[in-house]
Amino acid sequence: MNGAEAMVRCLQEEGVTTIFGIPGVAIAPFYEAIYNQDSIRHILVRQEQAAGHAASGYARISRRPGVCVTSSGPGATNLITALATAYADSIPVVAITGQVNSSLLGRDVFQEADMRGATSSFVKYSYLVKDVDDIPRVFREAFYIANTGRKGPVLIDIPCDVQAQKLEKAFSYPENVDIRGYKPTARGNKSQMDKVIETINKSMKPLICAGGGVILGNSETEIRSFCEKFNIPLVSTMMGIGVMPKKHPLYFGMLGNNGKPYANRAVSGADLLIIVGARVADRAVPKPDALEQRLKVIHIDVDSAEIGKNLGPTIPLVGDAKLIFRELLNADIHIDTENWIRTLEEFKKNTVDTRVFSEKLVNPMTLVTTLSEKMDDDGIYVADVGQNQLWSADNYVMKNGRFLTTGGMGTMGYSIPASIGAKYAAPDKQVVTVVGDGAFQMSMYELGTIAVNRLPMKLIVVKNRYLGLVREHQEKVYQGHYSGVALYDYPKYDKLAESYDMEYFHVDSNDALPEALDRFLSCDKAALMVCDVDSSDKTK
Amino acid sequence: MRGIFSVLVENKDGVLSAISGLFARRGFNIDSLAVGTTDQRDISSMTIVSTGDERTISQIEKQLNKKVDVIKVRRLDETRTVELEMLLIKVAYSATNRAALIELCSVMGAKIMHVSPKYMIIEMASDPESIEDFIMLCKPFGILETQRTGTIAMAKK
Repeated sequence: MNGAEAMVRCLQEEGVTTIFGIPGVAIAPFYEAIYNQDSIRHILVRQEQAAGHAASGYARISRRPGVCVTSSGPGATNLITALATAYADSIPVVAITGQVNSSLLGRDVFQEADMRGATSSFVKYSYLVKDVDDIPRVFREAFYIANTGRKGPVLIDIPCDVQAQKLEKAFSYPENVDIRGYKPTARGNKSQMDKVIETINKSMKPLICAGGGVILGNSETEIRSFCEKFNIPLVSTMMGIGVMPKKHPLYFGMLGNNGKPYANRAVSGADLLIIVGARVADRAVPKPDALEQRLKVIHIDVDSAEIGKNLGPTIPLVGDAKLIFRELLNADIHIDTENWIRTLEEFKKNTVDTRVFSEKLVNPMTLVTTLSEKMDDDGIYVADVGQNQLWSADNYVMKNGRFLTTGGMGTMGYSIPASIGAKYAAPDKQVVTVVGDGAFQMSMYELGTIAVNRLPMKLIVVKNRYLGLVREHQEKVYQGHYSGVALYDYPKYDKLAESYDMEYFHVDSNDALPEALDRFLSCDKAALMVCDVDSSDKTK
Repeated sequence: MRGIFSVLVENKDGVLSAISGLFARRGFNIDSLAVGTTDQRDISSMTIVSTGDERTISQIEKQLNKKVDVIKVRRLDETRTVELEMLLIKVAYSATNRAALIELCSVMGAKIMHVSPKYMIIEMASDPESIEDFIMLCKPFGILETQRTGTIAMAKK
């Protein structure tokens, strides 16, 4: 068995069935080993960044690490944006990159890039494998590190000659992992748990703020049950959309800069904020210091470094949200929140949206609402970045599906490859991608992957002929000096759809929308729908 | 405030750059950094001295703990810690002040390692504050070169 065959064996041991990548000479032995087996399918993407995003989409839906593979040099550096994106969103991804022969390392030979160095601040951990017999241990550790504690991407860089070398020891996949510097905390500390329960019991107006960590920790059910049992309301961050269905009586929307005013009023009105799996970043809570002076804060996170990073003194509780809320469900909690909930309902009822949208074209809010209501209950909605993301987050009607977007890095062009990954993770589920015409053009090469694999993807381009969110910013801050944001009327979407064998839909009015969406969603092959939106429509 | 960290790490390539990279990326100061192997060959010990407000110092501790190759982080209490730093200093002298320099060394507990007709190389191992004092006192003679190792530290209990 050579190194490459050992790599494939390791992936099989981890139960990997799908990987995304692009080959090259430095990873050729691995592709030969992939060719000689049939339990793992390799999906050829069109650019390496897409391999990383596809692995991310796959990981988020399958709730297992996603795997992407590239060659050395430019193939590997193309992956970096995707790794940074997965890192910011804590998505478990294992990235395998080929490297030049180990004897040539450090000599700047053809297609050599120092990937460990280049990715050091964008991965949870990285390996450069120099000894072929290390492969089983390295893979076992990489998958373990990626998928435990605070999840994130792990890089395995393997020189070409190491892939080709014969193993000296018999292949044996380690059963256990023992890394002395890496022991993630799972259970909440007993005395901190007691403090948390005591604080909840003393509060009159508690509020849970759920972040992406709740979904990453597979703890949606536990948190929903906790809210229902003790009648505690919940708001979410953008990455936390999906923790509760939109119509749940205890759900009060997304907070933050781009969130619902009543969600932010809930935060202002609360006397206790329980933050779970959220970074408390600037878009969600612009002035965290003001917050901590006003109310008590309990911060629950699997990563102890998140607690106190952006927000000052709190009651910290480090651990796995699923285990913690399972325990809290059985805790001795007695609070009466009737009045508090009633106040929040008033807030919600009295919130009037004063935004004015163009009457002539498609109203983006109507688009998102109608689309998500028409989608399957367990459908997957993937939003890109920009105005389309904010309109989506604001208006998405969560039923029992998933809402995917990149909240941390805000990488344009995420949605199409991430949707491809999601589709491979859940082939029977409906996957709908919503993307602006700017981000679409950053990732439209992936239409090739969709076409070749006959994936029945559903792509909606929210087209306003601008990099809309930047345009909105320039209008507000720079007196409408639109600098470098115009996209004009390209590409010709009908011709693009035709060249990739996609059904094409074009909608330019609200009236035509429902019927067009019905036809679009029931299409059994890949479909591209372009919705014309007025460039003056705003997110705020 | 000052934070002194005693950090045990895996003795592997890339670990030092991972640690210094962490400080650079998050904008933490490194006042001094000393690295060496321990009695266990696969473990290195680092002493890192940093300054910042309480939140920064506590973030440093947590971020260090997050690193996979970091085995153990101890934040040392300044008042209950033995700190030691090594100094090599090349100081010029003349016939008139030669005796004064020798006397200064003897008072401060510094050792003369090498004497040439125009300068001496002096070694001093002491706490960082005494090292600072000694350098200041050498200034009038004329300092030609200094080398400092960075602080190493150990908790008293």
